[in-house]
Amino acid sequence: MLVLLFKNFIRSKGTKIGLLFLLLIGFISLLIGRQFQQKQQQNIVETALYQKEHIARNAAFHKDEMGLLLYYIKFSLVNKTLPINSLAIGQRDVNPSIQSVTIRGLEAQKYDSELNNPNNLLAGNLDFGFVLIYLFPLLIIAFSYNIISEEKESGTWKIVATQSSNINFYILKLFYIRILSLIAVLTIVLIIAAFFLNIPLDQPLLTFYGLGILYILFWFSVNFFIVSLQKNSNFNAVILLTIWLFMIIILPAVINSYIVNKYPVPEALELTLKQRNAYHQKWDMDKQITLDKFYKHYPQFKHYPLPNTEFSWLWYYAMQQMGDDESAIQSRELESKLKQRNQASKLIAQFVPTLHTQIQLNEIAKSDLENQLLFLKETKQFHEKMRLYFYPKIFDNTPVNQEKWKKFKIETFNDNSKLDFAKAFLPLLLFNLILMGFGWLNFNRKRQTF
Amino acid sequence: MKSIHIELLIAKHLRNTVFKNSAVFIISLFIGALLFFAAISGWENYNSQNETSEKYQHQSREDWLNNPDKNPHRMAHYGNFAFRKSTSLSVFEFGMEPFFGNAIFLEAHKQNTANFSEAGFSNSIMRFGEISIAMVFQVLLPLLIFFLGFNSVAAERENGTLKLLLSQGISWKQLLFGKILGVASVIMMLFIPAVLVLIFVWMLLQNFTLSTDETIKMLLFILFHFIYLLFFCVIAVLISALSKTSKKALISLIGIWLLFTIILPRTTQAVGAYIFEAPSKVQFNSNIEKDILKQGDSHNPNDPHYKAIKDSLLRAYKVDSVQKLPFNYSGFIMTEGEKISSKIYNQHLEDLLQIYERQNSFSKAVSFLNPYIAMKNLSMGLSNTDYDSYIDFQKQAENYRYNMAQKMNALQIKYISNKKPAATDKPLTIDKDHWADIDSFHYEPKGILTVLKTEILSIISLIMWIILLFVFIKIAAKNLKAI
Repeated sequence: MLVLLFKNFIRSKGTKIGLLFLLLIGFISLLIGRQFQQKQQQNIVETALYQKEHIARNAAFHKDEMGLLLYYIKFSLVNKTLPINSLAIGQRDVNPSIQSVTIRGLEAQKYDSELNNPNNLLAGNLDFGFVLIYLFPLLIIAFSYNIISEEKESGTWKIVATQSSNINFYILKLFYIRILSLIAVLTIVLIIAAFFLNIPLDQPLLTFYGLGILYILFWFSVNFFIVSLQKNSNFNAVILLTIWLFMIIILPAVINSYIVNKYPVPEALELTLKQRNAYHQKWDMDKQITLDKFYKHYPQFKHYPLPNTEFSWLWYYAMQQMGDDESAIQSRELESKLKQRNQASKLIAQFVPTLHTQIQLNEIAKSDLENQLLFLKETKQFHEKMRLYFYPKIFDNTPVNQEKWKKFKIETFNDNSKLDFAKAFLPLLLFNLILMGFGWLNFNRKRQTF
Repeated sequence: MKSIHIELLIAKHLRNTVFKNSAVFIISLFIGALLFFAAISGWENYNSQNETSEKYQHQSREDWLNNPDKNPHRMAHYGNFAFRKSTSLSVFEFGMEPFFGNAIFLEAHKQNTANFSEAGFSNSIMRFGEISIAMVFQVLLPLLIFFLGFNSVAAERENGTLKLLLSQGISWKQLLFGKILGVASVIMMLFIPAVLVLIFVWMLLQNFTLSTDETIKMLLFILFHFIYLLFFCVIAVLISALSKTSKKALISLIGIWLLFTIILPRTTQAVGAYIFEAPSKVQFNSNIEKDILKQGDSHNPNDPHYKAIKDSLLRAYKVDSVQKLPFNYSGFIMTEGEKISSKIYNQHLEDLLQIYERQNSFSKAVSFLNPYIAMKNLSMGLSNTDYDSYIDFQKQAENYRYNMAQKMNALQIKYISNKKPAATDKPLTIDKDHWADIDSFHYEPKGILTVLKTEILSIISLIMWIILLFVFIKIAAKNLKAI
């Protein structure tokens, strides 16, 4: 029986075209993911090379002045891109994955954006996340919107109804073969991806797979529920497409506008003006005031007195430091606003399976705002580390050639935040159970009308 | 007159059947609510964007002017900001705005990136897209049209009433036009009130003082959307007439809608970006630095390019050291350095922009196959939220930056003594009155003529679609069968 049903399903031209289309576009998405991955890797190689040359060249030019040399040279921190990122590029195209900073004021450097064609950003990435979230549901709808209505409309339903011992199981079997076909597509694409993109077969990939399956099941549950209402095919098609529209376009957009308007971030611009003034005003102030503030922040440097010259690097870096110190409030406010935004949207997303899946996939791939915020935090620590290393050398004006410049390689930030499985799987699981439960009830209630 | 009478009758009949369906009321009400929501959130966006932008542009200007007497080069590093402002039409069409950086720091020697985009401050929810009036017009209304029109002819064929109609002497042409008119008249019941509200909101936004440029843009915005919606009415009725059953018509129309609005826009842009790979920031910047070093590094005391300049200056002024020159030597060198570096930067930028153009050329070409892309591009152009406007903003900012830096250099050459002060001397300064010589940054959005010129492809494609659909109606009217 199952075999016959499967043959009947797969024999239809529409089914074949649909599945092939999905496989094809899934494969294209892997190509695009691979290109993104290669570009990221190439960036790291180039940054490493650039940093080496750049430091060597400047160290040769500015042999006598440690302070001047550190004015120029940049140190890079890389936000590690996992191979699985190719499947869900997320916000990694918007945000730079490499921060190159001098030890001067960080707030003036931290938010530098990546170079981008805004057209590409607007259109969005064609990564596998897109294929899974947008296109799988469409195929699911196309395959199952007319599961009963079609037979009713063509008059074969009565025959089926009288010949099957249990009509509910018959319907479940129809869904079963469709679910299996789509999970097969997901599995095939992910297996190819694992080889093609060198994604290790570990927990992140399995979680990705698990979410994918639950997400596919979610859409089948939606279909199951709508089919259980036993309306005609046209009604089913319209209502299912409307649900898709809601889940994929309208609700996300409404929620996004809500979040953006609820948590505006004027702090960003305020911060940028504040740090500019905080630093530059010090040029026209009594030097000792700046120095006193600096000693207060770093008591360990108290024993470096202000030199008796108009300009000194101690004073200069103290001024730069003030740019950061005096805009710290705004910087923290911006950070907490962004955290709030992220928290709020994650909370709401639990009630919208499409959003939830998108956010979870991107979290697995470490490509969402959460990762970006951690990266910014790490950049701050990295910057502070470099500062504290070089400050005494600048203030002592240690000879430049005493330093082993080759040891300053680019550093890498690994986002080790753990996934919360309950949070990832439960919302989808609950939605699935509720929809299937109601669908089942509907079928039982309407059995008389068969 | 008589023939139009028949078409009006058919249209009226269609309208009556549509309104018998209570779902239509619910959907229309819902779309009305969405339009309302889109207008409010667009309004809020626009206001907060422009208020903050204006506030900080103003504050940044005050800060600039409040600087005490200083060395002009300090001022060149103090720098200015270019904050992006939106045009009034961006209330209805956000376009690429969320991805635009909102502030560029403009200082000497360095072209900074445009930072603080909304996208950088959001998580991946925002990649699902935003809801704006234009999005409702361009994406949701066509789908509603399809839902209204899919059974306009096909249902009559299924019921057998089509034969009756045709046997009563009504021609296919009349029938098609009547049905199109019917669907269009239903959709206009949503579109026209929405447009009236839009116009009111738009005028309110500008306190009823309207510029001609903005008014023309607004009128074109409405006109093109009107035409665009009519297309979909035609497509809906034609497909319905071509389909055997209303189910087939519905499925084909949904397929067309998905292809036009969801699948094609993303895939074509992705293909463009895949084929023409753009360099990343690291690559871009290190290439610029390499080229600048080739030309001459003003920070390197032994650089041949700058040594040649020094020697020729010494010869021309017949002196033996730069300290004896009658003007500030380092100001002169910085002018030269700025000239070289910004020339090289601009060359690289042009190359980069050309790659971007090539990436975009795919979806531009596809706009001939897809009226949605044509309409989207056009409406983004009219609201100055398109790619060209952003590039234009960055170019204006860079222009401003260059002039500011060079003006500060000129002040240094002119007013700062060429003698280096001793280590304990007070720094050399000029009077703070000079700061007002630099105008505040003001962004001028592209005018309507430039917009129309850059969007000429979209306009041609829309016109082509009008012609094509007329031809289709004609062909269909001749060849369609009643069964």
